[in-house]
Amino acid sequence: MKKALSLGLALSMALGLMAGCAGSPSSSTTSAGTSTSASAEETVITFGIHVANPESQEAVTWQIVQAFNEAYAGKYKVEFQAADTETHTTNMMLQATDGTLPEIFWMDASQAPEYAESGYLLDLSDFLSQNEAVDTALGGMEDAFNNGSMQYGLPYQCNVQGFFYNKDIFDAAQVAYPTEDTTYDEFLTMIEQLKAAGTTPIAIGSKNSAYAMWEFNEFLARYGWEEDIDAYNAGETPFNNEKLVSCFEKVKGLADAGAFPENMATIEYFDAKQLFVDGSAAMFGTGQWDCAAFDESLGDSIGFWWGPKFEDSDAEQEIAMKVPSAPIVVSSKVADDPAVQEAVYAFLAFYYSEDATGISYEGSIFPATNYSGVAASETQYAMNQMIEALASGWAVPEAAPDQTLTPSVQEALYDGLFGVMQGVYTPEQALDNMDAALAY
Amino acid sequence: MHWLSKKRYLVGMTLPSLLVYTVYIILPIGIAVYYSLTKYSGIGKPTFVGFLNYARMLEDKVFWTSLKNTMIMFVLAFALLLTLSFLLALLLNSRLKFADLSKSLIFSPAIIAPIIVGIIWVYILDPNIGVINNLLDAIGASALKQKWIGGEVLSPYSIAVIYFWQQLGYLTTIFIAGLKMIPEDVLEAATIDGTTFPQKVRFVILPMMKTTISTVAVLIITGVFKIFEIVQQTTGGGPNHLSETLVTYSYAQTFDSGNYGYGMSLATFTSLLSLLITAIYSLLTRNKED
Amino acid sequence: MTKKQTRLILYPVMILITLVVVFPFLWMLMLSFKSSGEILSDPLAFPTSLNLENFANALNTLNFPQLYANTFLICAASLIFELAITFLSSFALARLEFPVPKVRTLIYSFLILGLSVSPFILLFPVYKINVFFGLRGKLALVLPYVATSISFNTLLLVGYLKALPPEIDEAAIIDGCNVWDLMLRVTLPMAKPVIATIVIFNVLYIWNEFPFASVMLRDAADYTLSMGTSFFKGTYTVDYGGIVATSVMIIIPELIFYGIFQKNIVDGMTAGAVKG
Repeated sequence: MKKALSLGLALSMALGLMAGCAGSPSSSTTSAGTSTSASAEETVITFGIHVANPESQEAVTWQIVQAFNEAYAGKYKVEFQAADTETHTTNMMLQATDGTLPEIFWMDASQAPEYAESGYLLDLSDFLSQNEAVDTALGGMEDAFNNGSMQYGLPYQCNVQGFFYNKDIFDAAQVAYPTEDTTYDEFLTMIEQLKAAGTTPIAIGSKNSAYAMWEFNEFLARYGWEEDIDAYNAGETPFNNEKLVSCFEKVKGLADAGAFPENMATIEYFDAKQLFVDGSAAMFGTGQWDCAAFDESLGDSIGFWWGPKFEDSDAEQEIAMKVPSAPIVVSSKVADDPAVQEAVYAFLAFYYSEDATGISYEGSIFPATNYSGVAASETQYAMNQMIEALASGWAVPEAAPDQTLTPSVQEALYDGLFGVMQGVYTPEQALDNMDAALAY
Repeated sequence: MHWLSKKRYLVGMTLPSLLVYTVYIILPIGIAVYYSLTKYSGIGKPTFVGFLNYARMLEDKVFWTSLKNTMIMFVLAFALLLTLSFLLALLLNSRLKFADLSKSLIFSPAIIAPIIVGIIWVYILDPNIGVINNLLDAIGASALKQKWIGGEVLSPYSIAVIYFWQQLGYLTTIFIAGLKMIPEDVLEAATIDGTTFPQKVRFVILPMMKTTISTVAVLIITGVFKIFEIVQQTTGGGPNHLSETLVTYSYAQTFDSGNYGYGMSLATFTSLLSLLITAIYSLLTRNKED
Repeated sequence: MTKKQTRLILYPVMILITLVVVFPFLWMLMLSFKSSGEILSDPLAFPTSLNLENFANALNTLNFPQLYANTFLICAASLIFELAITFLSSFALARLEFPVPKVRTLIYSFLILGLSVSPFILLFPVYKINVFFGLRGKLALVLPYVATSISFNTLLLVGYLKALPPEIDEAAIIDGCNVWDLMLRVTLPMAKPVIATIVIFNVLYIWNEFPFASVMLRDAADYTLSMGTSFFKGTYTVDYGGIVATSVMIIIPELIFYGIFQKNIVDGMTAGAVKG
């Protein structure tokens, strides 16, 4: 028995040692620039972000936070809680249950409403009424995250989505660049010509990248998504209806014309982007976050296009897909501590300020805010192409179509679009799956 | 046998394991099973719905696809791994020079991070850029080219092969540990008697390896029903869930579609199926022993 | 067939299998010297030069000494704990006499049942249990790791210990051993091959474990090695070079460790040990 006791003792000592290690404060951290020294008056708030290494993976946000910490040194301090998107999403769910949510965090648009309903999020209406400049600069972009009873989030950034194309490839194949008025049939001809010239017309990958369907948001919008979405979500109109069937048939038409890589099932969004960047594909659907990468590799050969107009649709065709990205939200716990709330409001005011907007443009990211006189520089080719496209002053939707659904219907939409592209589903089957996901 | 059966020892020795295991494995399983009877997104409050999630499985086409894929992988991996890792263990346990080196090298796949396994095998199996199809082109056998992954048919077979590759060294190591247990004098006696090698395997080694064989069998069965990262990295379950396994599909439901309740019912089913097959296997082999 | 002829056949077989199995591994090493762009656009080509940029990049981004230290600490604590408790329980299950034999089968089946459970099912509940016990940071990982190892260790240990001939115990008892002497001085040394196997597998599992680590660890100062690769895959960007280089950095200690422990699976039981 003595031996059993000593064994137990040794074990508990080993564990105690671990506890000591875990509890001891450590000054060095893995990601650079976040040391945990805190003076007495400094209020530290945490920003939960959806990448593991914000310094390089969300550089603009990282720089804004650095600028904020510098401007308010000794008073407020923002620290990141960083993890890749999947882990971040899981962590937020778990931290909601034990009340340890970060003060501010990034949240997928399809999940945020549920957090709001469960009382985890702070109503930011007060913040907006206290900061009129921010309210004005957001220009209504925050409405996507207002559920009628509360302002549960604010747009993290602004997404501009559509097709980028490589002018050199178009020139070599002697194909004219697409214009605002290019129709779907003309688009099909364009694809045939590009294919005949031996290039992959549109780079896209479906492996673990179902979310990478940004160019098709414009398709959905041009088939009247915004007018119909409430009826869809209420179950009054099925997704499997004439309009959406014709929309999905257009996607099928592209697949039939051979627009996509043959191995799209085994490549990811990143691989597809590489095909476009190294000149093996003529077009690539994405958003402004890839601008910097395109500037670096393609320079002024880059072009931007919203996508084809559909003559068989009665809905508005002049829609620019400039939409709020996922929201950042504030934990409802923040209201318990006036000092913390003050720090959070100060950070939000800074995040949506003119200074931060400038930082954002420099990093080729469209901020959610608009300040006159803040814009991209001349060598930001890709971004300038987008600004040019935006200059037509077309209507913008309140949110990207894929961001207006609950998680399971959103998943069914992604699955359906790629299923149609890969010939696994007919348009009707894909839409039926969305109806089934909604019904559950 | 005075102290061999003292209750004090029995309880004291098994208690620590039982305690940790009950709190950190059994209790969580209980919680998961409870959630499988609810409609729950992971946020807010779950609503109890009884066996609705299980009923939903029957009508869910993707569930049946995942089940079929999982069974294909199971049959293939079980047959290949059990026989070949045993034979390989025999080979590496013989006194060949460099057997130790080769043992280490064959074990190496088991320690490569899954994300790298994915990258590497995509470059081998991808229909466009993969080594296999490019080799077939090069030797003029283009007719044999296949969509090894990413097509509608072959993905589960390819994944079983990757799993085989990853597990071979791992299981061989267990077999070798078992072989090391056979007393030298038994083997020597058999050699002196002039038995041939196949006879030695059949009448001396196999009977003495019974426990090791069933250990490996149990590890293969339960392992196949947990294959996750390989699928995630090579096909992501695609195209359109056609290469999904039970585990990847329950993961996708739980975390991507926000159906925590349904995901847990799929996971519960998977665990029960794996238990059932393990039980059937133990029954079958026990009968043989009689 | 003479022995020499057999060997002539067996060598090529062994070499061939080894090459086939090890090829992807070597390929990974090769990839680690190529840039991300090269990896994606021309994966098969040899690296044009010995490009160490990926490693420099990995070393700059991640604090490897700390990652190694954290991982090692968690690994060591879990390993000591799990080996102690599973050896105890397996010894009891395999070598002691139960008043009711069915209880033995019941406990054994109960303990290996966990093998059929995918770890991700446990994530949410285990997190809540840890919160309940107030366990956070590195410490929060030890018990889940210990618990997930119990089924595997029991399966291997009980199987192995059961197969040891009963004469050993009898001889030991006649020699006047008590139960602890028998367990630690007689049984434990004989179980060396299987314990070495278990140590290898347990360490590899913990070394590479990601789901629990990513959910339980919040403070970057607590991060483990397996979380390193996620620093190179963002929502919109991926750095395959960084991922591969980090993976190589993760693997090197594992290789060394495996090399050392594999030698312990040698020889196993000698004829002398059986005769006691």
